[in-house]
Amino acid sequence: MSSPMHHAEHTRAVLAPPTISTRRTVLTLLAATIGAGALTVPRRASAADPIRLGAILPLTGPDASVGIQQQRGLRFGVSRLNAAGGIAGRPLEILYEDDEGRPDQAIISFNKLVSLEGVPLIFSAFSGPTLAMAPLATRKKIVLVNGGAQADRLAKASPYLFNTIPVAADEIAVLAKYLISNGKKTAGILYENDAGGSAGRNDFRAAFEQVGGTIIGQEPVTFGQTDYRPMLLKFASSKPDVLFVMLSDGLGPLADQIYQMKPSFLIVGTSFFNDPALLHSPGSNGWLHTQVKIKAPTAIAASFKSMFNVDMEFWGSQYSNATYIMAQAIARVIAQKEPITGENIRQAIFDIKTFNVMLPAVFATNTAAMEIDIARIQDAQQHVVQAIKLG
Amino acid sequence: MDFFLSYFILASIFVIVGLSTNLLVGVAGIFSVSQAAVFGVGAYTVGYLLSNDVMGFLPALVLAGALCLLLNVLVTLPSLRVSGDYFVVTSFGIQLLATAAFTNWDGITGGASGLAGIPPADLFGWSVDNSYKTLALTGVIMCIACLGFALIMRSPFGRLLLAIREDELAVAAAGRNVLRAKVEAAGLAGVFAGVAGGLYAVYLSFIDPSTFDLNASVLLLTMVVLGGARTLAGSIVGPFVVLALPQALAMIDLPTTVAASARQGIYGALLIAFMLFRPQGLMGRRL
Amino acid sequence: MLLLQLLINGLVTGCALGVIAISFSLAYSTTRIFHVAHAGVYTLAGYVAFALAGLGVPDMVALLAAMAVCALVGALIQSELYARLARRRATHLGVLIASLGVLAVIQNLLSGVFTPNIRPFASAWRGRTLSFGGVTLTQVQLVTLVVCAAVYPAALLFTRRTVLGKQIRAVASNPFLAEITRLEPQKTYIIVMAIASAMVAIPGVLVALDFGVQPYDGTTVLLTATIAVIAGGVGSLTGAFLMAVLISVLQNLSLLVISGEWSVGVTFLIFLIFMLFRPRGLFTRR
Repeated sequence: MSSPMHHAEHTRAVLAPPTISTRRTVLTLLAATIGAGALTVPRRASAADPIRLGAILPLTGPDASVGIQQQRGLRFGVSRLNAAGGIAGRPLEILYEDDEGRPDQAIISFNKLVSLEGVPLIFSAFSGPTLAMAPLATRKKIVLVNGGAQADRLAKASPYLFNTIPVAADEIAVLAKYLISNGKKTAGILYENDAGGSAGRNDFRAAFEQVGGTIIGQEPVTFGQTDYRPMLLKFASSKPDVLFVMLSDGLGPLADQIYQMKPSFLIVGTSFFNDPALLHSPGSNGWLHTQVKIKAPTAIAASFKSMFNVDMEFWGSQYSNATYIMAQAIARVIAQKEPITGENIRQAIFDIKTFNVMLPAVFATNTAAMEIDIARIQDAQQHVVQAIKLG
Repeated sequence: MDFFLSYFILASIFVIVGLSTNLLVGVAGIFSVSQAAVFGVGAYTVGYLLSNDVMGFLPALVLAGALCLLLNVLVTLPSLRVSGDYFVVTSFGIQLLATAAFTNWDGITGGASGLAGIPPADLFGWSVDNSYKTLALTGVIMCIACLGFALIMRSPFGRLLLAIREDELAVAAAGRNVLRAKVEAAGLAGVFAGVAGGLYAVYLSFIDPSTFDLNASVLLLTMVVLGGARTLAGSIVGPFVVLALPQALAMIDLPTTVAASARQGIYGALLIAFMLFRPQGLMGRRL
Repeated sequence: MLLLQLLINGLVTGCALGVIAISFSLAYSTTRIFHVAHAGVYTLAGYVAFALAGLGVPDMVALLAAMAVCALVGALIQSELYARLARRRATHLGVLIASLGVLAVIQNLLSGVFTPNIRPFASAWRGRTLSFGGVTLTQVQLVTLVVCAAVYPAALLFTRRTVLGKQIRAVASNPFLAEITRLEPQKTYIIVMAIASAMVAIPGVLVALDFGVQPYDGTTVLLTATIAVIAGGVGSLTGAFLMAVLISVLQNLSLLVISGEWSVGVTFLIFLIFMLFRPRGLFTRR
């Protein structure tokens, strides 16, 4: 059945000059290429034409829980802007791409949105994909808007990358000062083992030690891992004054487990604590966190809830705020009768500098300066303990 | 134009990895889900060497290939003493260990934040700094890789591998060293994957652990199976089709929140359909 | 007390993992298919219970319902997919890819319907704790420990003492012979898959009660379970269960000495050592 001769023939047959195969290959490639490239006829611009921007978010994959909420924020922003007449009378439209949280998919989506759809501005999320797209944004002069990631490298990644939220380091510096001034001397760190989480760990270590504190331990968790008990037990035995937590999901289970364990240390963190799953767990009582002023006015938050049936929370308000900021910048470009290009939008952002939108922001650099509060969670509510104004 | 260019560049890089996976899994029959890890080692090697100005692109590429050859050999040598499905778990393990290493070895890999700002490849003064030049580079290397694969398959070594795939016992009984052939195949596969990784690093200029995780390995496996294991044409068609799928599926109109999950689910359904109705892949032949 | 607490936590997660391992072992040693989609069935169980609990169904009833649903799904995967593939002489790799496809379909279906967020159950009894001897456990942890630990001897009894159990073992040990005699392997495969799927629903629901549901984490869990199966010796339920408990306990305890980042690495290192020095696993049948 399996003689060497048979195999030689078989191999030769496999490598024989393909005839039908070539046709098939070419046809398949052609089909794939056509399928891949959405062939859109370039539109001729007119006054009532929609303004089309892009958004590249993780809509599937492990980061999707956050990505979809960010998308809701953008959609909400768009609907509110259009209800108020759009930007200079033109409706706003955002084209969404799913990057699955992967940098290489983000780059493909970036090229697609820019080459095929001609967008001058793209909203993005998560440090990995955003950092990957940053060099392209510089080269192509496309404004990249990060509304959620707080990795410090984002501050200087590209002159075209704008962060509409203070980077983690800004919030953490505020937190560290507050803790020391309240007598907390030792801290542990529980962080998500990805770009944002490790940056948070590094920032807190640096900031806390700079004001005289001591870090007595740090534990990583994988994104999505919800069994925190071993790490919490370890901290319970080393007894720090506070535990700094840097997680983007899974805070609900963490609070549950804290509630079950009742450790002696105080849990502190950043804006990421603004998460309904966390607030609704009784374990979150007493937690302290910095809060970039992101709470949307009640009426707006209610409107969001009635549109999507979920609470607005952090990502929803951040990303809709980002649309308002960018809309203002684009409006200025239009008012100055300039073409809507990335270069012009960028200049407009710096020209306007102070944006009095839903959540006020100041762009002295590529990263927004916003008011940062210290808040305590009690009975599913956040109570501002101290407000630190825009510097 | 850039969109099409980026598609072709990535496709050609994945063809090279596809050849690697094909050699390892399709031809030598060594089941592996750790291809992305090896791909990653190649990428990080070139990325690190170029970022720190240690050597030029071509020497870095050669080093990456050699390193990955060594890695594959070290990994398959002990594990192939045990058979079949045991190696699957070992393979999973290597993949997860590699991801952990990429994520935690801050000093070399940049840790979870990845390695950014990798300079473009420089070939004797010719800087590969735009998409056209990159496509030329990856296209040429892809052709060399395809040629190499074809030559390997025609050679006595290639025939031996195919024979082992058909009936390992008969080959062993005929006095040939089966283990050695498999390990050699794994080594060769490593070279392909390492080179592809290096190209990937200079094209994207930014790499991080998430690109080389378990999902990526599964994707690579899918490319080979969809294209057709054991055939050269399959290794080319597979990546091109699989990379185009998300874009093609995006044309189906669905409400945005459900759309993305639906697309991924359809992707999985396509896998099932292929395995049921066309297991030899698009370009394969019935055995 | 830290040591004891870590040990107990490890035992709880270990017993849950142990049931996943036994269920996989049962399916694998009989059908010889590396049923990756098992992770999807495991995840599905949690969501079925979550959906029912949200409608007011008592948690324990939801558990039984989840078991029934999973049994059906598992049986269907076998009869409609794996059996067809076998008839078409699909390669081992092909079956694995198809299984991966099923996993992707299940995970993304759940993600689309329930959102990809980690969602905790609303039940009040989950978080109540009990303390004894310096160790604290939640009620869910206690239930998980007791129920999962009971599944192991139940499975052993089933395979050794019941007629069906013996039939399954016969088919597993020699499919060719089974084909010739009256044992009808194909029908047995469907039954085994149904049983294995119902079994994996138990930790699927209990772990979800403790930690909440999420669509994508089943893969890593299943992987650890398969390591337990193989290191314990394929075909040995005892080996699979014991290794699962051992791995869980070691993962918990290792945190005392090394940083959490490497605990996955430790698990696989142990596995690799096994493969080098005792590749047949702890307990071998033949």
